[in-house]
Parts: sequence; structure tokens; C-alpha cells
Amino acid sequence: MIKEVHMPKLSPKSDEYFFGEWQKEPGDSVEVGDILFEVETDKVVSQVESQEKGTLQAQKVAEGDTVKVGDLVATIKVA
Amino acid sequence: MMEKTHVTSKPQWLKVTYDQKKVDHMDDLLAGLKLNTVCAEANCPNLGECFGSGSAAFMILGPNCTRACRFCDVPHGHPAPVDLLEPARVAEATKRLGLSHVVVTSTDRDDLPDLGAGQFVATIKALRRLTPKTTIEVLTPDFQGRTDCIDAVLAAGPDVFNHNMETVRSITPHVRNRATYETSLAVLRYAKEHAPQNMYVKTGIMLGLGETDAEVYQLMDDLRAIDVDFLTIGQYVQPSPKHYQLREWVPMARYQTYYKEAVKRGFKFVASSPLVRSSYKAKEELEAVMGK
Repeated sequence: MIKEVHMPKLSPKSDEYFFGEWQKEPGDSVEVGDILFEVETDKVVSQVESQEKGTLQAQKVAEGDTVKVGDLVATIKVA
Repeated sequence: MMEKTHVTSKPQWLKVTYDQKKVDHMDDLLAGLKLNTVCAEANCPNLGECFGSGSAAFMILGPNCTRACRFCDVPHGHPAPVDLLEPARVAEATKRLGLSHVVVTSTDRDDLPDLGAGQFVATIKALRRLTPKTTIEVLTPDFQGRTDCIDAVLAAGPDVFNHNMETVRSITPHVRNRATYETSLAVLRYAKEHAPQNMYVKTGIMLGLGETDAEVYQLMDDLRAIDVDFLTIGQYVQPSPKHYQLREWVPMARYQTYYKEAVKRGFKFVASSPLVRSSYKAKEELEAVMGK
């Protein structure tokens, strides 16, 4: 089954962020709690953890992109 | 005023982890009780960690503040009417979260006859009724230096009375609105002189605004001269391009130097690290001093 990863709301004050670095590449195995990617908001760089266990299938945004809350950022293949 | 230098890329220590489920759970609880936190209103870097561990600093009398300090992200605007049921809801949230230590702060309310002191008193009383074992820390405005307001809050009996100096003397007029170094020092002095023996008086400052070592040490000396107990030191993070220009990401070594200098001067507890905020890990701080 494929699970979609959407951009969480990371700042109480804004819904648009600067996408930082990917910490997992397509094909990498992912555990719940593993850091998937980093996002820069006004005050911090947030490391977003995976809520799923499986394999990262696809990255849907690139480093440096502007992303909005709810945007599809990745897909994870779960067993 | 010193020359402006542009400081951009964020240092490594500003990386924080974020568990959406836990943060959402906290958001839902706070929204359900119509409560504001300074964590969310000031967009705190530690929000993910604190909300994730079920900890928060309640901000009463908000969400709008009557002052427009240039370092602060709490909205400046027309203040809302005083919500008489807010103290009970703060107590309810504290109970539901099972907090052993609670921090209550507020916006500045220069529009109110009592400058908001009464809401602090009501909140402390509500907490004592519903969660008698929870220790209480208040982080107050300067109350324009009015001692009747400070007296009222002290009489309600918080465990910690906190009022932030925010920065050194020379920078205060550039970043604080209608607040002065002298008034804040006077508030702390009065609180310490009139607080019972088992109540601690605390303050905090931000670094990275352009302060010098000598100015920080002068501030520490000023605070120790009036016997302030706790000092927190953390990094200023500019909330937006409109806010006061960040001058420096202060290196970790300087936090360690300041820590040693502060301890040497006799503060009972010092927290000095980039992500320290005045309410960050306040519980651990009080426990360390009380020897729990």
C-alpha cells in the first residue's frame, strides 16, 4: 500500500515554508520516527519525522522549493 | 547605534524535531479550551519539543498586546475584553496535561486599570484550587512599575516570580516599547524585597542583539545587587524581516562563559544556551533549586 506524506503545519504563524534537505532517498527503508526531511520556517529548521514504516518510494518536492501546508511531499510504500 | 550587519543562514542548533501527532493533540486541547500560549503566539523554536512532551506556557489576557516591542512576535493590536473564565480554563488545561509545574505569562495590558494583575491573581487562585500540587511560575509585564500590581501578584503566592529584563541597558530602548531598564530592575527589586522566603525571583535576557561582554556582566551585577535568584540566557531569533535586526548567532563558548560568570556571581540557578527561553524547562530549574 502506498501512503502519501503531506507537509505538516510547522509554524503557528505561516503556512508556507522553504523546503530544506532530504534525509531519505527513494528506495531507503524508513522507520516510524526517522527524520524524512528538513523544512525552514521563520524561526527554526524543523526535522520532520516519518509516521510510517516502509520504503520511501518517491520525493515529490525538491530542496529549495517553497511548499505549502498540505502539499504532497513524498510517498512511502508500506508493507 | 551600532552598524547593522546582515545575518542570515540558521545555525545547526536551530534544528528541531517535530512530531505532528503530538503537537496536533496539544493544539486541539488548547483550542478546545480557547487558550493562548506564548509558545504559539511567539512562534517559539521549542514548540515541537515542549508540546510533544505536554508542556506549555499559557499566555493570559491575549492574544493581542498593547505594546509593540521590536524583538517580539506576539501580535500588537486592539486588546480583547478580559475573559473572566480564562483562569478556570488555564487550571483545567493544567490538570488535563498533568503538569507538575505551570508557567503563566500575559500580554501587556496598559489599557486595563489594574494592568492585568487581577487576571494573574485569579489564575493563580484557580490553579491552587484545581491543581494544588502544581508549582506556579508567573512571567509578568512590568506593570509600569506599579507596586500595587506587584503586591497583588505576590500575595497570590506563586512559587516563582519572573519578569524579563530582555537585554542590556544600552539596547533596551531600541527593542522594548514603553519599558525601561530601570523600571524592570525596579520591578525585580520590589518583588525580591516583598516576596516570601520560599518564592524565587527570576529574569531572562536574549543574546545576539549587539550587546558586549561588559554590558552583560554589568547586567548580571545589577541583578545580583538586588538578589535576583534565577537567570536565563538564550539566543534572539528574529521573527521576521520587520523585527529588530539580528546582529549575531552567539557562539556556544560564550554561553558557557556567561554561565560560569553568572554562577560565580551567586545566582541560584542559571540556564545559558541558545535555545533557552524564560519558560523552557522551568520545571527542571525549580526542581533543581528545591532539591527535589
